[in-house]
Amino acid sequence: MSQDLAGSLQVTERPWHVLTGLRADNTKFPARAKLDGEGIVILQTKTGLRGVQRSCPHLQGTMMNAELIANDTMVRCPLHVYTFKLSDGKGVNCPGFRLKVYEIKEENGVLFGRSVS
Amino acid sequence: MDPVTGSLTLKGAHVLDPEQGIDRVADVHLADGKIQFVGSRELTPNTKVVDLPGHYISAGWIDIHVHAYGTLGFANPDTVGVYQGVTTFVDAGGPGIGVLDQFMELLDNLETTLYAGAFIRPMGLLGLNFIEGDVRTLGEVPITRWVDFAKQHRDLLRYIKCNAIGDYGPGTLKLTKGLAEILNLPLYMHIGEFQLQNPKHLLAPEAFRIAEAGDMITHLYHGNLGQVLDESGKVLPIVRDAERRGVIFDLGFGGYNFSWDVAEKAFAQDLIPHMISSDLQQFNVVRPVKSLANVMSAMIRLGMTLPQVIERVTRNPAQALSLVDRAGSLKPGLPADLTVFRVETGAYEISDCYTKVRKAEKQIVPVLTFKNGKRFEADLAFAQEESNWFLQIAEDHVPSRARALSERQRSFLSALAARLSSINWELSSAERLDIEKALELQEIFHEVRGKQGLPLKDALQSVYASFLDQNFTMQIGLLLLRLERPFALQRLRDVSGQRPMAA
Repeated sequence: MSQDLAGSLQVTERPWHVLTGLRADNTKFPARAKLDGEGIVILQTKTGLRGVQRSCPHLQGTMMNAELIANDTMVRCPLHVYTFKLSDGKGVNCPGFRLKVYEIKEENGVLFGRSVS
Repeated sequence: MDPVTGSLTLKGAHVLDPEQGIDRVADVHLADGKIQFVGSRELTPNTKVVDLPGHYISAGWIDIHVHAYGTLGFANPDTVGVYQGVTTFVDAGGPGIGVLDQFMELLDNLETTLYAGAFIRPMGLLGLNFIEGDVRTLGEVPITRWVDFAKQHRDLLRYIKCNAIGDYGPGTLKLTKGLAEILNLPLYMHIGEFQLQNPKHLLAPEAFRIAEAGDMITHLYHGNLGQVLDESGKVLPIVRDAERRGVIFDLGFGGYNFSWDVAEKAFAQDLIPHMISSDLQQFNVVRPVKSLANVMSAMIRLGMTLPQVIERVTRNPAQALSLVDRAGSLKPGLPADLTVFRVETGAYEISDCYTKVRKAEKQIVPVLTFKNGKRFEADLAFAQEESNWFLQIAEDHVPSRARALSERQRSFLSALAARLSSINWELSSAERLDIEKALELQEIFHEVRGKQGLPLKDALQSVYASFLDQNFTMQIGLLLLRLERPFALQRLRDVSGQRPMAA
């Protein structure tokens, strides 16, 4: 409820950026890409594509080897099982840690991304 | 502990007991939860026999460094205890003086004997980069409380721990050494900077300077800043000096603290830990640590003999912890704590905490554990179950166990919610974790509990049951701090208003 309220009050919409650094014929995920100059990893989940920052905020484990869990709603770093929600990036078993997450959409064969919150 | 009656003979295994110089096939006789003797005798018809050819038997393994309690702990610490061949373990820094009461109340029902290696910080060890290296997070060191606690619970405390990391000089180490001297306990120091820190002045050498005979230094073979080797790979003279003085070195494998490169270079120069410990915690049990047995297998791969390995999980830790009157050997009259294991041959891989993997031909596998004569089948997969190590708040549902709370517990939760409604808190980031606030929330918890006259254990369980499906045991102030305030207050009210389960 409060989230809807916050959404409706939002004045400026977060901008979409074309993802770069992806091979045009890429069909394999996870895949590395760049969004507005920032390195991200695109994950294929049951509900579509999702972007996350490239390395874990704990000790920089690569999210290319991350594991999707909890029906693809969370992502787990392979190094020390630090686990984050894909909805908002909040640490699940590591309070105070946050992984940057990104919405990803496809339009006419081009992938766009924007940060969540 | 359930009393175990009757006698039992473990027959035909290879017995290793460095304390008594036993290294041969022999029978081990147990009676009424104690060890009778090792050797041959005529068996009476009433004696139960377990045939164990092809197995080894040693005294029950002692793991001097695990994390059973707090932010690093497990839902069921016995999974890394008796179910992995370990009959005695020490929580390495989980509780500080501010939470030792919680530690005692919550972990009094384990099958494995648990001791406290108490931490210098009142809240205990948090394991966060940004907190451990900052001297300001130490808070106060209440000497009076420490002395009084130690007088009352002498048996529980086995060492005082601090971390030799950060950029504030050796003051913390000296302060902890001072406390350890006051309490007449050994000092136990972690070496190795956490990866994100890059201090100008390394504290690891200071740890080797400050430690005296009987003090312990853990993570001997770590590969971070502050190693035991110099840049050319040679063991530092200061490490040798400490060893000569009688300082005890511990392995402490952990999720950050074991490097094959360092281990191999140091081992080749005869720098060998006196004790083998796992540093098992919720963040490293899946990989790379897995079990104390896996760490022991790594030491076989490194070049230790099997008797050397067994000595380092039995006699040596028993001596270092002053437990020789009750553990670490198969001497007649000692509690019947034993580990039955196999040494399997095959093609294995053992990872360090970085990227290095070594192929190994031998693997130590625990099979049976006896604790005061009570038998447990080893189960290495038990600890790996996600529910045992994945600590998450039940945000979208009230844990079913909250239904079992008593009227008094629910009334306590209601009072706690009312009292907390006038307090603000927020956990904005791990870097800015506000330990003072966590202590304040904890004080409020105790204040409300005191007014309600609710026993500590009942009060703790009522909060855990409101937020956690599993039986984790986090410091209560930290648990509250990590919850989002509106959610926490609402959940406490919801649970306090629930109708209890029909009897």
